[in-house]
Amino acid sequence: MLQMLKGIKAKNHLESIKYFLRYLLQEKRVDAVLVPKRHPNGRSVSHALITDPLNTEGSDPLAPVQTVNAACILKELTKEPTDKKIAVVLRPCEVRAAIELIKIKQVSDENLYMIGYDCPGVYDAKEYMNIIEKEEDREKFTLKYIEAFLSDKKEEIRESCSYCMYFTADSADINMAWIGLNSSDLVIGVNTEKGKKLINDLETEEISDSSRRKEKIGMISTGRKQIQKDRIDNFLDLIQPCIRCYNCREVCPLCYCKECLLEPEKMGYSSVRYMNRAIKKKQIKMPDDTVLYHLTKINHMGYSCVSCGICEQACPMDIPLGMIYNVFSRKIQALFDYVPGRSRDEELPVTTFREEELSEVEDIQQPRGK
Amino acid sequence: MEKKLKIVGFLCNWCSYAGADLAGISRYQYPANIRIIRVPCSGRVNPLLILKCFQEGADGVLVSGCHPGECHYKEGNYYARRRMLMFKNLLDYFGIDKRRFNMSWVSASEGAKWADIVKKVVEDVMAASQEKTDL
Repeated sequence: MLQMLKGIKAKNHLESIKYFLRYLLQEKRVDAVLVPKRHPNGRSVSHALITDPLNTEGSDPLAPVQTVNAACILKELTKEPTDKKIAVVLRPCEVRAAIELIKIKQVSDENLYMIGYDCPGVYDAKEYMNIIEKEEDREKFTLKYIEAFLSDKKEEIRESCSYCMYFTADSADINMAWIGLNSSDLVIGVNTEKGKKLINDLETEEISDSSRRKEKIGMISTGRKQIQKDRIDNFLDLIQPCIRCYNCREVCPLCYCKECLLEPEKMGYSSVRYMNRAIKKKQIKMPDDTVLYHLTKINHMGYSCVSCGICEQACPMDIPLGMIYNVFSRKIQALFDYVPGRSRDEELPVTTFREEELSEVEDIQQPRGK
Repeated sequence: MEKKLKIVGFLCNWCSYAGADLAGISRYQYPANIRIIRVPCSGRVNPLLILKCFQEGADGVLVSGCHPGECHYKEGNYYARRRMLMFKNLLDYFGIDKRRFNMSWVSASEGAKWADIVKKVVEDVMAASQEKTDL
């Protein structure tokens, strides 16, 4: 159920978020907030862990750029138990990644309050930095971008956002909503008990009519569904430029292994072996095993892939990794009717099983005892 | 067989390997195209192992474990079943015919079933497109 926070009448979406974060810090609801913040002269934003309410000024969580998937930062922040409470402002894909990480105990949500919001999508980071350099008022640019998204004007967003189907953060503790709602209020949805605690003495008013919001969300979803690809026919051609730089693994929130089996020293061969392989196969590509690398990666994290597209942004060779991983992972997830980050109670497909299922695996059908 | 196919079989130690052993003892005839690798449990088989087989030129791969509910480690083959299904559904994308990868359940007493399965797998792999992909 959506609720309107009554006390907050800010000028715009950005102000209302800042107000809310300041409130959380001032009232000691949390000890710190993690939020993307703009450096006065910087071209991009970077996450900041803020403890002083005054420092929330300049934070810009809505800036249309995703430099890192913030779930990676949460891994760092919660690897040891602390008693400090942290509120984090996350994009929906980051919320979903964080929930996947909570399931595999890489993030502890004990003292974590996730605040999500309706995400308008982002630019490619490099493109964003080029655009923003020419902008006088950088905060205004963010607001213009959100306005354009809310009034259905087409904005240039990066490809992996253009077919994102999960642009509302329904699984966060609190999600801020603005699609299809009156823009002057701060409307939030409280999804967990923890979220309730966070705002329990704020005056709220329930919003009874959210049909326009539902309609709008439906509209965007149908539009995006059409862009989404269901097949890749030339996977081997697409992946060919890969130089195995491991960027996509480093930035991926779900590649959580401390020790990766794709490390060069584990995956590589001795010099003699390389020669022998080259002789046997007449030629080998170097750096080798690039296809194997991606296929193993997708087999290892595909069931959890949230399609944030950060791998595509990190790829120096401009391989459309976001699209590839999206198509592959959706196929895997559909097998188990699993949506990563949908709910904390759903178990990962590979850590659970049902006794009666998937009989098609054994397709060599033979009656027993024949 | 006009063409010498090479099929790698990952057999779990407790059921399928014993089943294959029984097939041998009982003198069931089956094609000699299969190369058996004994693994502790079908749950041990990492998709990377299978990809490596294909990369190094195997024509087919067969993963075989205990029947569901009869795993020596109680549930290893249930996990294997999920993992292998995921893997199998991706094979198409990188130019490997689905028929080149098979999974089966063979218990220690099913020597005859093992012989049948190998025959069937060889037929399947034979029918599959033999286009080699450079992984």
